Amino acid sequence: MATETIRTLPWYAPPRVAQAMGQVRRYPLVPLALLTFLLVIPALFASQVAPYDPLQGSLSKRLKPPAWQQGGTLEYPLGTDKLGRDMLSRIIYGARVSLMVSLVAIFVGGIIGTVLGMISGYFGGWVDALLMRLVDISLSLPTILLALVLVAAVGPSFGTVITILMIFLWARYARLVRGETLAIKERDFIARARVAGASHIRIMARYIFPNVVNSLVVLATLQVGYVILLESTLSFLGAGLPRPTPAWGLMIADGRELIVTAWWVSMFPGLAIMLTVLSLNLLGDWLRDHLDPKLRNV
Amino acid sequence: MQRYIARRALQSLLTIWVMTLIVFTLARISGNPLDVMLPLEAGPEEYARVSKHWGLDQPLHTQYFIFLSKAVRGDFGDSWKWHGESAMGLVAQRLPATLQLAGFALAISLVIALPIGVLAAVMKGNGWDTAAKIIALLGQSLPPFWLGIVLMWIFAVHLGWFPTSGRGGIQYMILPAITLGWFQVAVVMRLLRSSMLDVLDSEFVKLTRIKGLAEWKVIWKHCLRNASITPLTVFAIIAGGLMTGAVVTESVFSWPGTGQLVVDAVRARDFQVVQAVVIVFAGIFILTNLVVDILYAYLDPRIRYQ
Amino acid sequence: MKPRFVSLVPGLLMALALTLVTTPTPGLAQATKTDRLVFASAGFSESNRYWMVSRPDHLQYDPFLETLLEVDPKSGEYTPRLAEKWYPSSDYKEWTFILRKGIPFHFGFGQFTARDVVHSHSMMMRPEATATLAGFWRQVEEVKAVNDHQVVFRFKQPTTVMDYGASRAGDLRIVSKAQWDKEGIDGFDKRPAGTGSYRYAGRQAGLSISFERIDNHWRGEKPAFRQLEFRLVREESTRLAMLLSGEAHIADLPRELQKDALKRGMKIYSSSFPVDWMTIYLGGMYFMPGDSAFKADVPWTNKKVRQAMNMAVNRKELLNTVFAGKGTYTYVTGWLPQSEGWNPEWQRRFDGMYGYNPAKAKELLKEAGYGPGQLKMKILAFTEPGESEGPQVAEALGIYYKDVGIETEIEVLDWAKVREMFRKKTIGCCIWPNIISWRPSEESIRTFNYSKGPNHHYENEFIDKTYLAWAQAIKPEERQRHARAIADHLFEEFADIPLFWFANEVVANPKVVGDWVYPGLGAGRSTHFHLVKPPAK
Repeated sequence: MATETIRTLPWYAPPRVAQAMGQVRRYPLVPLALLTFLLVIPALFASQVAPYDPLQGSLSKRLKPPAWQQGGTLEYPLGTDKLGRDMLSRIIYGARVSLMVSLVAIFVGGIIGTVLGMISGYFGGWVDALLMRLVDISLSLPTILLALVLVAAVGPSFGTVITILMIFLWARYARLVRGETLAIKERDFIARARVAGASHIRIMARYIFPNVVNSLVVLATLQVGYVILLESTLSFLGAGLPRPTPAWGLMIADGRELIVTAWWVSMFPGLAIMLTVLSLNLLGDWLRDHLDPKLRNV
Repeated sequence: MQRYIARRALQSLLTIWVMTLIVFTLARISGNPLDVMLPLEAGPEEYARVSKHWGLDQPLHTQYFIFLSKAVRGDFGDSWKWHGESAMGLVAQRLPATLQLAGFALAISLVIALPIGVLAAVMKGNGWDTAAKIIALLGQSLPPFWLGIVLMWIFAVHLGWFPTSGRGGIQYMILPAITLGWFQVAVVMRLLRSSMLDVLDSEFVKLTRIKGLAEWKVIWKHCLRNASITPLTVFAIIAGGLMTGAVVTESVFSWPGTGQLVVDAVRARDFQVVQAVVIVFAGIFILTNLVVDILYAYLDPRIRYQ
Repeated sequence: MKPRFVSLVPGLLMALALTLVTTPTPGLAQATKTDRLVFASAGFSESNRYWMVSRPDHLQYDPFLETLLEVDPKSGEYTPRLAEKWYPSSDYKEWTFILRKGIPFHFGFGQFTARDVVHSHSMMMRPEATATLAGFWRQVEEVKAVNDHQVVFRFKQPTTVMDYGASRAGDLRIVSKAQWDKEGIDGFDKRPAGTGSYRYAGRQAGLSISFERIDNHWRGEKPAFRQLEFRLVREESTRLAMLLSGEAHIADLPRELQKDALKRGMKIYSSSFPVDWMTIYLGGMYFMPGDSAFKADVPWTNKKVRQAMNMAVNRKELLNTVFAGKGTYTYVTGWLPQSEGWNPEWQRRFDGMYGYNPAKAKELLKEAGYGPGQLKMKILAFTEPGESEGPQVAEALGIYYKDVGIETEIEVLDWAKVREMFRKKTIGCCIWPNIISWRPSEESIRTFNYSKGPNHHYENEFIDKTYLAWAQAIKPEERQRHARAIADHLFEEFADIPLFWFANEVVANPKVVGDWVYPGLGAGRSTHFHLVKPPAK
């Protein structure tokens, strides 16, 4: 059990400020700030914030180094890529793409997983056995291989990538929710509701789901980062988002052979991913510690 | 206990069978392999001839039946890209390389994660804990292929400490293994830390402390052992993850394992090899899970009666 | 102590044990740098079964399996090799080869005779044969060994490209019948016997193929390096790293990385001839009368649109940016100055007809009825190992077309899909850049423009008629006439968007490699390794 240390205030610090500072310290400021700048603002306000169109480039301006290097200009602060497109704009738009892809995948995968997990845990029996076998199969499908084969079949697109990510994600939610459902369904208030004549669906929606939401939120936050990484790996292998989408993973893949000559093409998107995922993980950790310590083992 | 084993074994078999169905279908929808096998000069007669030779002119269910009946005997057919080799033969040829890399990566990640994870738990809220958190987070945030290329450039080209690619003695393995294992360090460390925290708190440990056992003994002998049960499950998952994570690492470092094999096979639409690799990987994963579950049931009798 | 726990320590030990147990015995001790030449290639289909391997992957046979005819590294001409003399019959249906005497096979499998030629060809008749020219070899009705040193190929139809097929640019590798009789296919797979100045020394699956020099090559070829190794390295940056760290002495590098290698003191070795051409092909050009695949609403069935699409492309800029300035212009797809039917007029007229002129392009589009933004098209792109420029060219094209008011959408597929589409004539929607390796222009027309050929790009009645006349013509002036007629036709009609010819460029360490001349037209592109000489002291 953690013991709270009471910090002694310097004699000049007014008590109210000190109290406020104490409150503030309880929130994960650094990750939230990072996230806001790296992910939220770019994603929401990309067209206002980005200096150029991420898809338009001019071949004569290709592979310009970042502004502080020899040969770079302030016109293109982070340099340009193989086709003369501005790196900064692409990274800003990339935030939107990465975020959208992961959120959609997690949302859909999460819903499917939650529903199936609840059904599985609540009803038990053969339904449970069947669904858990499906979970096993889903978890044992090598994601990357599946992605390669699927993309070879239907071509890279937003839909394909999201489908692949979803297939990868739903099982974890299903497992988690099933576990929680199993624990909750034995509780008294559930039995009382049954006696009162509540239908199964009502019970699941009104009683079980709200108790499961906390864990779901934590898991989701922890997963956004991983999903972004997964998308970049898929792009590296050519099974990711289609060109010329300004997705971070795709940008790294494009720049990988230039890593010595034009390091900025891969470096900045890589940094963007790293910082984003880092802050998401920090946020997720904090959420977990404060909302649902049971999930420490997730 | 027998019943539990039998039940789990049957379920595993079923899972593997469904895997073959899924893989077979997916491989087939990925397109016509003849378009990759045959040169631009090949006209319709060549297509017909080669199609017949490989049995591709048969209806899909016939192909699946032939495939399945051979697969149960371990025969996954001949490769279409690596002429003259059998699909299973190729997998067997390349699997040791991947296992070796995965094993080494796991070892490295454990060697790093173990002490840090334990220390982080013991010195909770301290500098160690923060350091551990940062290392863990960094591990989970870097794209592995990018890390691999950067490591190669720094250590193999600029410093010249290691070779850039290929397989040979132990020096060829270091960079790829670090790349591969990096991500796992974080997972193992977290797990270890949280399960250690649980144990450190428990009555059992309080008892050992009251008994007056030396602190280090308490931590290393008693807590660690008890803390190991949860990571056991993860071991299985990590092992599976390492094997598929090997795909990217093997590409960057030209490590001749199954990861590289399968990427090439998919590109060449060599279904035979793709099927063989995916089923072998899935099989290993499912088998490991089975073994872990049985071990679990042995250690914790409550599980048997679920 | 009750064995209640499975701790991590045994897990650790297990992992370490697994590692040690599966470590392979250390490979061949690395010979001194100058004794073992290492070439880092982008990869090839590993197999000794040459009848199943496509021409570019014949790189792996070039050092040790020879062909009947040679390709001269400087002039590109077909010269004697295992065959001393060769000539066709008057109707070009029979080709006779007089073979050289006194050529031993490796590993003691006896002397080279006509029976080995018959045997080597018979491999192409196997049901699984998928070599590039397998279709051609299967047109042979009979191969007869007239005596020990004379062999005759009889074809169903007359053919004028036999010398191409039988040369180092083709894929008829001569292997030993004696070995096949004695060891069967397993022996052949393990250790194929050839006649080259290098001998097969073994493979490491997924890694490399090695060769060792023989003494007393029948032609007196004495390669400077005792051992030769081709490594398979998929990642370009890894190949560069190997070259810079000295693990490899020659590397196949994409243009972007060539610059960097040059900066660090490496040198480029270019083939004597261009080996690949890049053209942007247009779908839907099925002008044979009554062809149901033809759709009149495909915008570029209108010649003005095709010309506009050509004039919108800034070839100079494209060449300098995407291809680092390394290439020469193609005037008619598939034609080199040494090809039959080459017309020097094209060079003079090219700028006026195809040159970069966005204003004129816009005008042409308007004339064709397409105002700005009204013309939409899809560009298909794909990458192959070693050819990563497809998507870049597609994206550049998108930018150029936007400038003249054409809306584009890029779709990245894999090569096989695109091929299926143009094979089945379902590609009317799209245009696509493609890099194709050199073949004689007659073969090029048959493969891509002949309506009864395997692929369907730009085809019409005139091409069909003229091609047939060309294929059956014997006299050189007649052949030139037909070839020129087709080529001029393609030029006038803007059949596609020709871009560039590329030579094969590999990068080598000048401390290890001094001189190397190779034609590039040989199967495998990087050939004639026996001509690699160390730098003069």
